[in-house]
Amino acid sequence: MTALSLNRTAGRVGADRRPLSTMQKRERRAAFLFLLPDSLGLLVFVVVPMFLAIGLAFFSLDGFGHLRFIGVDNYVRMAQDPQFWSSLRVTAVYVVVVVPVMFVVSLALAVLVKERFPGVGVVRSALFLPYVISLVVVGMIWQFMLTDKVGVVSRALAFVGLEGVSILGSPGLALAAVIAITIWFQMGYYMIMFLAGLQDIPGELYEVARVDGASAWQQFRGITLPLLAPTSFFVILTSTIAVVTGGLDLVYVLTQGGPASATSVLIFFVYEQAFLFGEYGYAAAIGSVLLVALLLWSALMFFLTHGGRFSHADD
Amino acid sequence: MPPRFGRRQLLAGAAALGAAGLGLGLTGCSGSGRPEPLQFWNYYAPQEQGDPEIVEQSKWFQSAIDHWNANHPEQVMPVFVPDYVNPMNPRIATAFAAENGPDIFLISPGEFLRYYNGGVLVDFKPYLTQEAFDDFYPETLATRIVGEGIYALPMEVDPLSIYYDVAAFEEAGLSEGDLPATWDQMLDVAERLTTPRRSGLVLETTPGYYQNFTFYPWVWQGGGEVVDPITQKPRIASDAVVAALELFAASIARGVAPRTLPAGGEIVTAFTQGLAAMWQRGPWSISEFQLQAPDHRYGVFPLPLPPGGRQITVAGGWAWAVNNRGRNSDAAARFVVESIGSMSAESIARGADWNYRAKSNLPARRSVSAASEQLPSYADPARAAVRELVSTSRGEPRYPPVLYKALSNTIQSVQLAGGDARVQAQVAQDAIESFLQTYEGGTLV
Repeated sequence: MTALSLNRTAGRVGADRRPLSTMQKRERRAAFLFLLPDSLGLLVFVVVPMFLAIGLAFFSLDGFGHLRFIGVDNYVRMAQDPQFWSSLRVTAVYVVVVVPVMFVVSLALAVLVKERFPGVGVVRSALFLPYVISLVVVGMIWQFMLTDKVGVVSRALAFVGLEGVSILGSPGLALAAVIAITIWFQMGYYMIMFLAGLQDIPGELYEVARVDGASAWQQFRGITLPLLAPTSFFVILTSTIAVVTGGLDLVYVLTQGGPASATSVLIFFVYEQAFLFGEYGYAAAIGSVLLVALLLWSALMFFLTHGGRFSHADD
Repeated sequence: MPPRFGRRQLLAGAAALGAAGLGLGLTGCSGSGRPEPLQFWNYYAPQEQGDPEIVEQSKWFQSAIDHWNANHPEQVMPVFVPDYVNPMNPRIATAFAAENGPDIFLISPGEFLRYYNGGVLVDFKPYLTQEAFDDFYPETLATRIVGEGIYALPMEVDPLSIYYDVAAFEEAGLSEGDLPATWDQMLDVAERLTTPRRSGLVLETTPGYYQNFTFYPWVWQGGGEVVDPITQKPRIASDAVVAALELFAASIARGVAPRTLPAGGEIVTAFTQGLAAMWQRGPWSISEFQLQAPDHRYGVFPLPLPPGGRQITVAGGWAWAVNNRGRNSDAAARFVVESIGSMSAESIARGADWNYRAKSNLPARRSVSAASEQLPSYADPARAAVRELVSTSRGEPRYPPVLYKALSNTIQSVQLAGGDARVQAQVAQDAIESFLQTYEGGTLV
């Protein structure tokens, strides 16, 4: 319970109103200076553009300096745009499948590689390896493997009697491929998160459970899952954000949003509106809606899990 | 005693580095007194490595720039920006949005209206002599003219046709006499050419401007239009468009055309590796074969026709455009006209060299075509076959992005998702009608 102890300590420091010593003042100044570069970077490259984009959503901007205030027209257009709703549906399927499946796969892998066995380091590295490769490169490699007729996956399918299946050229299969590749790409990262969480769980708890005759599944349900709650909260929250706002590179390389808009996730739609059509205001409006949706999702997650602690015990 | 390196030193060092960086940055901002060279954004040059045709094309651009630089005080610099002409690539869009667009850039008909309507293109009319203006084939300039102005100068024409692999035909027991002349024949021949490894016919499947470009001639053959160039009204919900959509769908449904492009879209690899037998392509493929697989046997034939159809194809090609907000748009326009649009011997020879040596498209000008007759590659059979298409070529339409997208969605839906051609054509018709009610900008031709 390191996190809880830190929380209590922080509470005590916060309640202490005694004047700061010179050393404490120096500490604070140093902390401020260390935080300054990162905070400035966030302010300049994230916070300011974010507010500019929210403002831009109320304008028509063609990318050549012609700016015109149009109020909420971009939002009205969004509500009436079938392409927007189509992309939203694709995104919903993408998120609803990727986040839970990736959660389960990453957790299963973490449980697997937590055990000490010969070559465990190699297995951990191999599982994490896709994550360090550029997503563009990942897309190109998979595109090569999924090529119709002669790609290794197509040949394997032909070998089992599924000849002539075009994975990236069929609307249903193309989205499934993007989902599978996303999970394959990101599962190593979340596996590491879970692994860190698993290693924080005291071994004594498992020993006691074993003495009491608990099965492996009972240990997992009774000890591992509850004590992994903060990590699970982090994984669900960050993977949802990553899936909603990421994936552009992969879709761009693999399918260009096709076939028949089957893989046109919302972030790709935003990109298309901004850079293909020069509809910067409309793209900003869609981006604003995405931002609000993600903020609401994060707030809901914090509310339901009490800030990721999953319990009132420490309130 | 080793020197101490504590937190204070770290912060001081970081501050010093930051100050130094800021200083250098500000120094870099100061002018040197000399005018900056004009930036010519280019995806051809400079490139010293790559496929042979890429290196040759890079040399051609560099040579044209060197010639100008040797004779004028306003220097031009090629800036290699890979793939920026791909409309999905944000480089040029963001550069213009940041008021830092290139001085000179390459533009396709598909992108023309976006820049024209944005008001950033220089009119070349004042820089062209009447003789040079008359030298351009009218159809090559038609999609670059708005009103009295000429807002881009074409360097090439690339009519689409079908390229076929002779070995694949022979293997299937087919000969030149079996080359298809109708849509039905094309699908039948493609069926005979299709094997578990090889696709009989390749039609573009990737959504984008290029797929629309390849779709237009099939529409025009049956007398159809996406937008009527005279009335400026959409005509997409028509029998001709529906027939063209159904042709694309049938090629997939019959299993003779692939859902994704073989060999990553590389025709030379696809033909030499036995992955495709017929492919709708442009004449740039000729130089690809010439430089990558000179001994490979292939042929070219015109696009087959629907019942009662007329012979017509689409011709695209890159044009040079100048940014009127650039460093020196007057010099940039003079550079473009002197390089590819003047009646000087150098300009004409340069055009012939581009179209008949470095690349294999057709010239956009009569004088360049005449000068090309002296070049060895003029007699090449594939080029001769492509030349015959010129009289039936129509320039690639310039449509704004919303219109492009409506058509693209329709093609994709019918071709790859089993959509009903007539229903989807009506969806596009409605979307385009709605868009055109408020559209203001260059005419749609």
